[in-house]
Amino acid sequence: MTDLRIDPRMDSGATLYAGAVPNDLLRSARFRLEREAHWRKLDALVSRAEQGGAATLTYEEVRNLASGYRQAMNSLSVARDISLDRALVAYLESLCARAYLVVYAPQESLGGLISRLLLSGIPQAVRRSALPLFIGFLALILGAAAGYRLYGSDPSWFYTFVPPEMADLRTPDASADYLRSTIYGDERHEGDGLAAFAAYLFSHNTGIAVLVFALGVFVSVPSFILTFYNGLILGAFFAMFAQRGLGYDVFAWLSIHGVTELAAISVACAGGARLGLAVLLPGARTRRDALRHQAHDAVKLAILAALMLVAAAFIEGFLRQLVQDPTWRLAIGWGMGVFWVSWLLLGGREGKVKREPVR
Amino acid sequence: MKQSNQPDQAVKDGRRVMPFIPPEGVPISFAIASIGSRLGAQILDIIFTTLFLIICALAIVFSGALPSSATMVLIVLLGFLLRVPYYVLSELIWNGRTLGKRITGIRVINADGRRLTPHQVTARNLMKEVEIFTPTALLFSIGSGSPWQDGLTALWLLTVIIVPLANRRRQRIGDIIAGTLVVDNPRSVLLSDLALSAPAAASSQAAFEFLPEHLDIYGKYELQTLEDVLRDTTKNSNTEEIVKIVRTITRRIRYEDAVKPGQEMLFLNEFYRAQREHLESLKLFGKVRENKYHEHTKTEAKKLV
Repeated sequence: MTDLRIDPRMDSGATLYAGAVPNDLLRSARFRLEREAHWRKLDALVSRAEQGGAATLTYEEVRNLASGYRQAMNSLSVARDISLDRALVAYLESLCARAYLVVYAPQESLGGLISRLLLSGIPQAVRRSALPLFIGFLALILGAAAGYRLYGSDPSWFYTFVPPEMADLRTPDASADYLRSTIYGDERHEGDGLAAFAAYLFSHNTGIAVLVFALGVFVSVPSFILTFYNGLILGAFFAMFAQRGLGYDVFAWLSIHGVTELAAISVACAGGARLGLAVLLPGARTRRDALRHQAHDAVKLAILAALMLVAAAFIEGFLRQLVQDPTWRLAIGWGMGVFWVSWLLLGGREGKVKREPVR
Repeated sequence: MKQSNQPDQAVKDGRRVMPFIPPEGVPISFAIASIGSRLGAQILDIIFTTLFLIICALAIVFSGALPSSATMVLIVLLGFLLRVPYYVLSELIWNGRTLGKRITGIRVINADGRRLTPHQVTARNLMKEVEIFTPTALLFSIGSGSPWQDGLTALWLLTVIIVPLANRRRQRIGDIIAGTLVVDNPRSVLLSDLALSAPAAASSQAAFEFLPEHLDIYGKYELQTLEDVLRDTTKNSNTEEIVKIVRTITRRIRYEDAVKPGQEMLFLNEFYRAQREHLESLKLFGKVRENKYHEHTKTEAKKLV
């Protein structure tokens, strides 16, 4: 019962040492004496890799690390069988665990990971989740429609839907002139107030998006409700401006960042819906497995939502105050929309086209 | 999941130990990290990110290079980036360790024995938003809202706290979804081999002689307990405890010759070596003796037959 000798270079050291080992020792003590030098070598390599990552090792050392790891694993399984020396087994166990963590570290570079995610991972995940995306956008649109209708029948609904810190002074009681001034950022409103409001809106929206995503686990109902509620706010807001004849202006004002931001919330809702659907309709899998499986795409949707929110924040912070012309606002907002759609629909398709001729 | 149908885990030295099967098929074990060290790591991470955020914010504000609206957005954006993305990126770069985890000596591993995937890291840290950040933020608002809201917040907090305490592997919800574990960083120290380092191993071969019937009494547990005693450097032949141990052993194994005063350590070392040799050769032939009750269990088994 000896080690399988995997690496001949390692072996030569062992036989050299073995010559010096007296024969009257315990079997397990001999076993240890013969291999201790290798373990120490592996230990040193692992310690270095732990300190500065495997990148600090040379090619030769990495090769020694891998073979030394397998050899140590072998030693461990032999030692468990023949040795009652607890110190030895404990040492080998921890050495193997450390070597395992170094050998099985993630091997992809961060750059490669991100570019793969952007070029193929996210677009493919989006194309795979048509139904959840439909649910997400449906919730938002239904909410907006309901908010618009309700405001139309009774403007006091506005106070029910819109949180006061979000509405600021823009309530149904405000004058049309005042409302117009909030859209076109007159001197009176330019400055800290508006900036703080933009920042508030961003953190509000990220909060909503995160909740919408994570609460999807509960059969996606909370996601739907939250997105619907967000739609209600939007609808009531829009209706208020539209009644004062500012419909076109507010549409442009909302479009410039809203196309990206509201789409992000819907995408987050779609991610939540994927999780919810996994719980609701697990198919042939168990619910736990289905949840794990669906989580792959759901997480990609969440990342997409986060990216879109960041983009929306930049537009909001820099462009909304700079660009005052409604036509430009519309062009930028919907231009971003076209960009997102074309990225998500066209990205990551090259692979398929290349592979097909081979098949 | 391979682990779920095994008799799951043992408790060693008061720590939970998780059996774990790497692709090589040799089971190794990791000690599950304690809730305390995880909490410590989390608090350290929050402190680091907050400090970094404050420094950046001050730098941006005082440099005054940007218009005020952009400054606000940039700071909020930084705050966003320093939450989940910080944890995801640091765990990706350092293989399951954030700065706080590095300091407290814990790390994340994949529960099913493969390497940690980027997806797992992202999933477990996304849940952090629901499990840690949002409830903590809500905690500060408790008392200001309606009793309904307070109750809901309390319920949320309770769930989040109970889940890791209630399951055996100390996984929080994010860990369960991603299939990850948080374990202590293994540390390895190779102690000397007692069968070699014994002072008498080379010199006196026949100081004490043990017959097979002397060695048939004890099992593995007693041997390894003796190993612990011998490794304790604070004890020598004159310590009362050692004298007592020697007396107990000679009585139990019916060792006739008296052990001279001052020779107790020598006796124990010799006995350890002989006992280990005996048990190891028995083990090679498939007779594993866990402890001194092996005779008892054998007769029990016979009775049952």
